[in-house]
Amino acid sequence: MDKFWLYLSIGASILSIGVALYLFFWVKKQPEGSPKAKEVASWIRDGSRTYLKRLYRTLILVVVILGFLIAIVFSFDLSKISTSQVAVVPINGLVMSVSFILGALCSAIAGYLGMSVAVEANVRTATAANESINKAFRLSFYAGSVMGLAMVGLAVFGMSMIFLITKDAESILGFSFGASTLALLAKAGGGIYTKTADIAADLVGKVEVGIPEDDPRNPAVVADNVGDNVGDVAGMGADIFDSYVAAVVAVMILGASSARLGLNYVVLPLIICSLGILASLIGIQFVRVGKNGKPGPALNRGTVITTISFAVMVSAFVLATSVNLGVIWATITGLGAGVIIGITSDYFTSDDRKPVFRTAEVSQSGAAINIITGFSYGLASIVPSVIGIAVATLLAYYLAEVNGLAGIYGIGISAVGMLSISGMIVSADAYGPIVDNARGIAEMSGMDHHVIETTDVLDAAGNTAKAITKGFSISAAALTVLALFAAYAEVVTASGLQVNMSLREPIVVVGILLGLMTPPLFSALTMLSVTENAFAMIEEIRRQFRERPGILAGTETPDYDACVDMAAKGSLSSLLWPALIAVGLPLLIGFVLGPNALGGFLGGSIFTGVIFALFMANGGGLWDNAKKYIEAGNFGGPGSDAHKASVVGDTVGDPFKDTAGPSLNTLITVMSLVASLFAPLIAAFHLF
Amino acid sequence: MSVYLYLSLIPEALIASMLSPEEFGVYYAVGSKKKSSGQAIFFQVNPEFRSKYFRIQEGLARCVPHEDGAPKASIYISVYRVLEHVPITELGKLYVVTQDGRTLGLEHSEEFPVNDDGLHLYKEIAPVTPLIASRLNAIDFFDLIVRNPTSLVTLPAVAFTELRLGELATDPVLGQAGDLPYSNMDHLREVLLDLKTKSVATKMVDRISPASFSYRTVKNGFYVGNENGLRYYPMPSSEVLLAQHYRWWRSANM
Repeated sequence: MDKFWLYLSIGASILSIGVALYLFFWVKKQPEGSPKAKEVASWIRDGSRTYLKRLYRTLILVVVILGFLIAIVFSFDLSKISTSQVAVVPINGLVMSVSFILGALCSAIAGYLGMSVAVEANVRTATAANESINKAFRLSFYAGSVMGLAMVGLAVFGMSMIFLITKDAESILGFSFGASTLALLAKAGGGIYTKTADIAADLVGKVEVGIPEDDPRNPAVVADNVGDNVGDVAGMGADIFDSYVAAVVAVMILGASSARLGLNYVVLPLIICSLGILASLIGIQFVRVGKNGKPGPALNRGTVITTISFAVMVSAFVLATSVNLGVIWATITGLGAGVIIGITSDYFTSDDRKPVFRTAEVSQSGAAINIITGFSYGLASIVPSVIGIAVATLLAYYLAEVNGLAGIYGIGISAVGMLSISGMIVSADAYGPIVDNARGIAEMSGMDHHVIETTDVLDAAGNTAKAITKGFSISAAALTVLALFAAYAEVVTASGLQVNMSLREPIVVVGILLGLMTPPLFSALTMLSVTENAFAMIEEIRRQFRERPGILAGTETPDYDACVDMAAKGSLSSLLWPALIAVGLPLLIGFVLGPNALGGFLGGSIFTGVIFALFMANGGGLWDNAKKYIEAGNFGGPGSDAHKASVVGDTVGDPFKDTAGPSLNTLITVMSLVASLFAPLIAAFHLF
Repeated sequence: MSVYLYLSLIPEALIASMLSPEEFGVYYAVGSKKKSSGQAIFFQVNPEFRSKYFRIQEGLARCVPHEDGAPKASIYISVYRVLEHVPITELGKLYVVTQDGRTLGLEHSEEFPVNDDGLHLYKEIAPVTPLIASRLNAIDFFDLIVRNPTSLVTLPAVAFTELRLGELATDPVLGQAGDLPYSNMDHLREVLLDLKTKSVATKMVDRISPASFSYRTVKNGFYVGNENGLRYYPMPSSEVLLAQHYRWWRSANM
């Protein structure tokens, strides 16, 4: 029976990949437009591909080294370490290593597909916008769906195949760790890239020289548009792929380690994901705008229909197969937490709500007050989200327990429930950078102003989708790491040790303190990378303007490649320390301070990780929208003192919301996975 | 190559150039390696114009191509008291240039804007640059500072524009400032209120107002005049600018 469900999961995943490929080729068949538009699109395409090649080259190096280490480490059967009988089983190491490589590969393929279609769809969307908003919306959303559907399809396919072959849930940990490794590089690297280019382009172009957004005279304009793709398409896709897989594997491990649950409950998360794929395919069909319709409600309709379809399908499945009723409640709890965090993000970042209005209003008193106000609202935004996650955690736990399921399994299921509709969520998210790029291409290639107005309308809906996805990914990561935390404890217990997390143990307190420290340190490193790289790029842009006055006069073409190259090199070389922290620190703490301290470390990092991620995402979005609110003609409008103050706030918030904040999800997931993966080894070898 | 004469208002200068008005606008606003750059407003002047106040012929003679054949961008003929010595009948199109070099040419109109009852805000562009609030409409304001001998403060010639006041024009106390990017709004409201409640016709809002200003705040156009007459250069509506001069309008809204 379980095999039947596995085959069904594989079928659903193949269907998802098939639809993604169909849409990919459908998008490529659409007309590209004028030669000038094609030329501008080719700059962005080439820049994006160059970055992706460099990223994957770095990834191959990391994967080869880690894959080799994993193969060696997992070739030793440590289950009998207490009797000093350590058997060497090379096949175990090989399986884990291959699983790890497959995880990285599947995530990379999804990212590559997503970005490939994004750089093809941007110019086609701009061209379609010349005809109608409906056509442009359909094209850009279907292009975004390629990423969403490829991501969930490849994830479920990879996990199902590994489990079908190995019948071991823990071997999927390798797959998840592979996906996380790519996510760490793609999300943090993409975040550094995109904000380096964005900040440098804005500070010199808009503030110093006074040229508008997306003006082809700005040497960083192509890098800025490339950044949208590498940060928001490839980066965000890899981030959610990572959480998606990590949530599933955590629940599978919890299912496997709870004898009373049985094998059904190991496969259950894969079944729930398959239902999520089907629900997303249904929801995507309803994402349409009529003639002169609005794209925002169309995206929301797709998400609502996906969510309802998914809840109905899970309920029907549970009732039809006599699976524990707690699964329904846990799933609904997860979806509920996602809704609460989405509403919170919307409240704190919408310009018709008090936080954005007040931040814009106080900008009349200068940049300092703008920053203090935005910072404070960002901190306040943590409250409803944390309460939402806390309530979801307790409800999922106790409703599962009441129905006879392990409470922690319920928490894991709530994370899987939330992430199962990722196909739709990522589709809406990837739509954003595509229309953003379309707007840039329309501007740079001199298309008619009505095309730019149309892409502006599409872009506004994309920004909202982006904010919702950030809230979604943070809450999903929070629930996922709670499940991973439990999975870690299970793996340690299975290795013959009892995890003692008492706060009366100084070693645990030390672990917690070190964990609390890690997300702020990681944030600092990634944001310092942005400022350092932006500083260098600003000098390059100034140099080009200074030495070649024809650029501003419009008689010379800027050297776009110089900025694209600087952003790519700078972002990837900045990843060394953040990556070392994510992978090295849990291992260091585990092997030196022991599994209890590592447990405390994970707990501490989850707490500040979630707090910082929420604060940064909401605070950054709030500053951005306060600036847009003033630009819309309030408190003096563009050029006013209030506007200048809000530009400062927005620039401060940029690396908050697009670099450090979203990367923290990946950080806490990677650290939890490293801990779970190496738990048997740490349980066997530790100093304290 | 043709040689053009330009009367620049920011800063006030008479310039000979081999660049066409659009090329000159870009050059003048975005500068060269010398980094002289910024918003620019200039008139094209009749190339036959000659005056005892300016060594125009000498300037034109110096305005020759560079050794590499590139056109001479600018020969400054005068940078002092230029506006008062150029008859307005010698002025051609007015070019308003954004700080990133987008140039919009404006033709003068025989018709002046229809008077309205509200208060007004005038930005003098040359030869001095204060920001003045007034109860007077543009023609009366011009009369007061150029033609009316009863005024203590008079100018031989002036170029100015009226800036939008929105609701403040009729309700200085409670009117919405909206998208008006003026600094020290409280002071502006006080000045406007004084105009409503006291007998003064004009009041200084900012005596050291910068020469440049936001084009998007221009109410209806530009005025230039001296003792012999006044000319009006209407600015197209924002709808027309958006539809027909999108690039200029976008830069002007920065």
